[in-house]
Amino acid sequence: MADLLIQVREVDGVAVMRPEGFINAHTVRMFEDALEKLVAEGRFTILLDCQGLNYISSAGLGAIMGLIETVRDNGGDILLCNLHENVFAIFDTLGFTQLYRVFPTEAEAILAVAGKA
Amino acid sequence: MRAAADPESFRLVIPSQTRYLNLVTGLAKRASLVAGMDDATAAKVSIAVDEAVTNVIIHAYRGESTHQVEIELRFREEALEIRIWNTGGGLHDEDVVLPDPKEYVKHPRKGGLGLLLMSRFMDEIHFKDTDGRSECCMIKRTPA
Repeated sequence: MADLLIQVREVDGVAVMRPEGFINAHTVRMFEDALEKLVAEGRFTILLDCQGLNYISSAGLGAIMGLIETVRDNGGDILLCNLHENVFAIFDTLGFTQLYRVFPTEAEAILAVAGKA
Repeated sequence: MRAAADPESFRLVIPSQTRYLNLVTGLAKRASLVAGMDDATAAKVSIAVDEAVTNVIIHAYRGESTHQVEIELRFREEALEIRIWNTGGGLHDEDVVLPDPKEYVKHPRKGGLGLLLMSRFMDEIHFKDTDGRSECCMIKRTPA
């Protein structure tokens, strides 16, 4: 199995990105490229569905951090859902759960973006 | 002459390439479980090891792939001790300045978080030079 696979689809105007595997210094370029491609296409509301994400290191956090101001300046946001306990611990330990909106499921995140929740 | 093998530890030497990170972190996670830690704690140890080895590859060796990173996992009675050595230069305890997460969140930027994760996820971290090599020693205490 590859270290990282990334799928992207559109749901109600939200770009849902599903990284599967590991985001670390080896795979971060692929993750960063996928995020930058969305931003370049003007897709500024991005939901990271972390169901298949086994771990993310500081390299991956840096990739998200590097784009957060750009997407927010353009009226969008980066949201997170389906975080495994160990991935949540990384975000929470660094205080990033204050910076990013975290949802239990993709459906709840999509509803929140649409202003229905 | 090589020292007698320590029955409570083993060593792994990898090329200074990020492609091996996954292998090393998987090993660290398994070792943590063998030492008696739960899944969540083992995951934190593996992240700390990822960050430490990444620092060596990216910073000490400047991304050059032809060097070696040596990792030792030692099962002590009360802790798992992980030592990581490189010959590219490294930090010393007095050099380590951890970012304040609250300030970081207010002023987002790339980088600077690896040491913070290591310090939060491990019980002790020490940096020093030993025998002409730079050493990072991380300790995670095991449940009583």
